[in-house]
Amino acid sequence: MSTARPLTTTWTTPDEHTAKVAVEGDLDFDTADALLREVAERLPGLRALHLDLAGLGFCDSYGLSVLLMVRRRAEAASASLHLDNRPGSLERLLVVTNTLDHLTGVATLVHQQTPEP
Amino acid sequence: MLKKVNAVPLSEPGQSTRPAPPHALATGWQGAPYPAVVLDHDGVLLVANDAAEALLPFGPPEWLTSARSDGGRVPGEIDHRSFEAHPVPHDDGAATWWLVEDTDTRLALDALRVERKRAALLGDASAALLASLNIDRCTEVAARLAAEHLADAALVIAPPVRRQCSTVVCLRGQEPVHHALRVDPAAVPGLSEALQGFPPVPSRWIDPASAPEWLRPEGFGEIGSMVVTPLPGLGVAAGALVLLRHAGQPAFSEEEEIFARLYAARAGAAMSAARMFAQQASITDTLMRELLPPRLSQVAGVEFAGRYRPAQDTERIGGDFYDVHPAADEESLAVLGDVCGKGLEAAVLTGKIRTTLRALLPGADNHDRVLNQLNDTLLDPVSTRFATLVLASARREGAGVRLRVSCAGHPAPLVVRADGQVEQVSSQGTLVGVMPKVRTTTAQITLGPGETCLLFTDGITEARGGPLGEEMFGEDRLRRALADCVGMPADAIVEHVQMLAAHWLGARDHDDMAVVAITAPRGRHLTAVGGHSRGRFTA
Repeated sequence: MSTARPLTTTWTTPDEHTAKVAVEGDLDFDTADALLREVAERLPGLRALHLDLAGLGFCDSYGLSVLLMVRRRAEAASASLHLDNRPGSLERLLVVTNTLDHLTGVATLVHQQTPEP
Repeated sequence: MLKKVNAVPLSEPGQSTRPAPPHALATGWQGAPYPAVVLDHDGVLLVANDAAEALLPFGPPEWLTSARSDGGRVPGEIDHRSFEAHPVPHDDGAATWWLVEDTDTRLALDALRVERKRAALLGDASAALLASLNIDRCTEVAARLAAEHLADAALVIAPPVRRQCSTVVCLRGQEPVHHALRVDPAAVPGLSEALQGFPPVPSRWIDPASAPEWLRPEGFGEIGSMVVTPLPGLGVAAGALVLLRHAGQPAFSEEEEIFARLYAARAGAAMSAARMFAQQASITDTLMRELLPPRLSQVAGVEFAGRYRPAQDTERIGGDFYDVHPAADEESLAVLGDVCGKGLEAAVLTGKIRTTLRALLPGADNHDRVLNQLNDTLLDPVSTRFATLVLASARREGAGVRLRVSCAGHPAPLVVRADGQVEQVSSQGTLVGVMPKVRTTTAQITLGPGETCLLFTDGITEARGGPLGEEMFGEDRLRRALADCVGMPADAIVEHVQMLAAHWLGARDHDDMAVVAITAPRGRHLTAVGGHSRGRFTA
C-alpha cells in the first residue's frame, strides 16, 4: 500500500511469566515475519502472551497467517494468547475467517450470524 | 675499444673562462654514479668517467654521438636499457653528456598503460555483458570480447546439460557461432575441472597438440597455445572460457592468464545472472500454463464469467484464483479463492488447492465435506499459510438457477436482484489449511433470469485509491456498482467491476484481484426438450 506504516513492537513484562507486546503499524506481507521472530525468541518460559493491538493498522491475510502461527507456537509452549484492544477491521477479518475463537483460545465454534455488512 | 683519455683534466677540453675546478671536483666527476662522457663538436669521444666506461666498453652509441648538444635531452637505448642523455654544452662546441637511466620509469609507464587498457576493457566488458539478460546474447558477447582482446579465438563452453555442451565459438573479427557439442570435456586438459569451477590449470602445462579436433574452430589452423579458465557463476560454474592463439604467436604470459581470469569472473557472473533469469522465466511459464485462470462461458444454461488481475503485472500468477468445473447435466461447481501471500509460493499453494478440488469433485454435493477434505490436505505442521474460498454449485432450474454457496473464511458473495437490490449471501465458515477442523454454513439461493451472484476477493474491496488516494474501494461502493449492473450478462458485470476497481486504484500498488459472476441468463425459453429437462435458452 502506498502509505504503509512500519511495524514496531514494544515489549513489557509485568511479571516473569507474562509478556505484553504493544503492536503499532501494519501487520502484512512485508512486516509480519518480524513479529513472529520476536515471539519465537521470547516465548520460552512465558505463561501468557498479550498482544496489545490498539495501534494496529492494516492487517492482511499474511498478517493473519502470522497471528495463527503465534497462536500455534504459544499453544506448543503452553502459553495463553490474548489479543487485546482489537481494532474493528481486525475483528471483522477474524469473524469472516472464523478464526476469532481459535485465536483467543475459546473452542472453535461456527458463527451462525451473518457478519455485519 | 674505448679510447683511453684518462689523463685529460676536465678543465682542458672545456677551455672554460671559469676557474678550473679543484682536483676534488674532478675526482667527483670521475667517480660519479651516473655515466658521463665528453664528446667534441663532431661527436668524437674526448673523455668518459668510470661509470661510462663500464656502461660503454665499445664507445658511445650512434644516437648519442649524432645528437645535438643544444637541443635538450635525448632519449635512447643502450643494451636494451632506456636512457636519457642530458647535455651540458661547453664553449668550444664540445659537450658533457650525463646519461640518466629511466628504464624502470618507462617499464612502469608501459605497465600502467597496459593496466589502464585492461581496466577499461573490463569496464566495457561488464557494461556490454550486463546489457542483456538473454543468455545466448550474453554468451556471444563474452566470446566476442575475448576473441577481440585476449586471443585469436575464444570458446565459451557451458556445463553439460543432457550430455551436451552448448558452446559459442568466436574467431577474431568474425561473428560468434553457436554449437551444441556432444563431447567429453575430460578430453581437454583442465576443461572438466573448469566446468566444475575448479581453479584453472596454468597454460604452460597444457599441450595444445593434445586438444581434440572439436576444440579447433573451423579454419583456425594449428593451435600455438591455449588457456582454459573457469567462468565462475553465482554459486555454480557458468561454464569455461577457452582461449586459443595461432602457432607462431607468443604464448600466453602469466599476466595475460591472470587477466583472462579477471575477465572470466565478469563474464561468468553476467552469464550466470542471465541463465538464472532464463530459468526463472521458464519456471514461471510452465507454472503459468497450469495456473492461469480458465476462460469461462455458458455451461448447461448457467453463465459464468471471470476476471483476474495479479498484484504485480510482471507475474501473471499469484494468490487469487478461480475455476469452474462444468457438469453437463448436474451442478457445475465454481470456486473462487485467495491464498495468503504473494508470488511463487502463493502460486504453488494455489495449484495444490485447484488440483485437490478437482479430485474432490465427485463429492461436491456436500460442501462441508469437500472443505474438510481440502483442509486435511493442506494442513502443514510448519506453516500457517491458509486459503479462503467460496464454493458455488449452480444448477439450472427452469428459467432460473439454483445456487448452493459456501464461504470458507472468505468475504460473502453479493447477489444482484432484478429490481436492483444487492444482497449479501448468508454463508460463513472457517478458512482452510490451519485449523484441524473447518465449519461452514451453506446458503441456498435462487437466481431469477438476469440475476447474478458475484464472487470476489478482498483485492477488490480493499483496493486503495480514489480521489484522496488512501481510501478503500470498500463493499458499499461495490454494492452500488453492482446495483447499476442489473440485467447485464455475466461477462459485462465482471468487466465493469474490474474496470471500476482499476480506475479506483489508478497507478497504485494493489493486491491480486479476482471476480467471478454466475448469472441466470435473461434469454427467452426456446424449446422445452421433453417435460423434465431444463430445455434450451438463448443467451
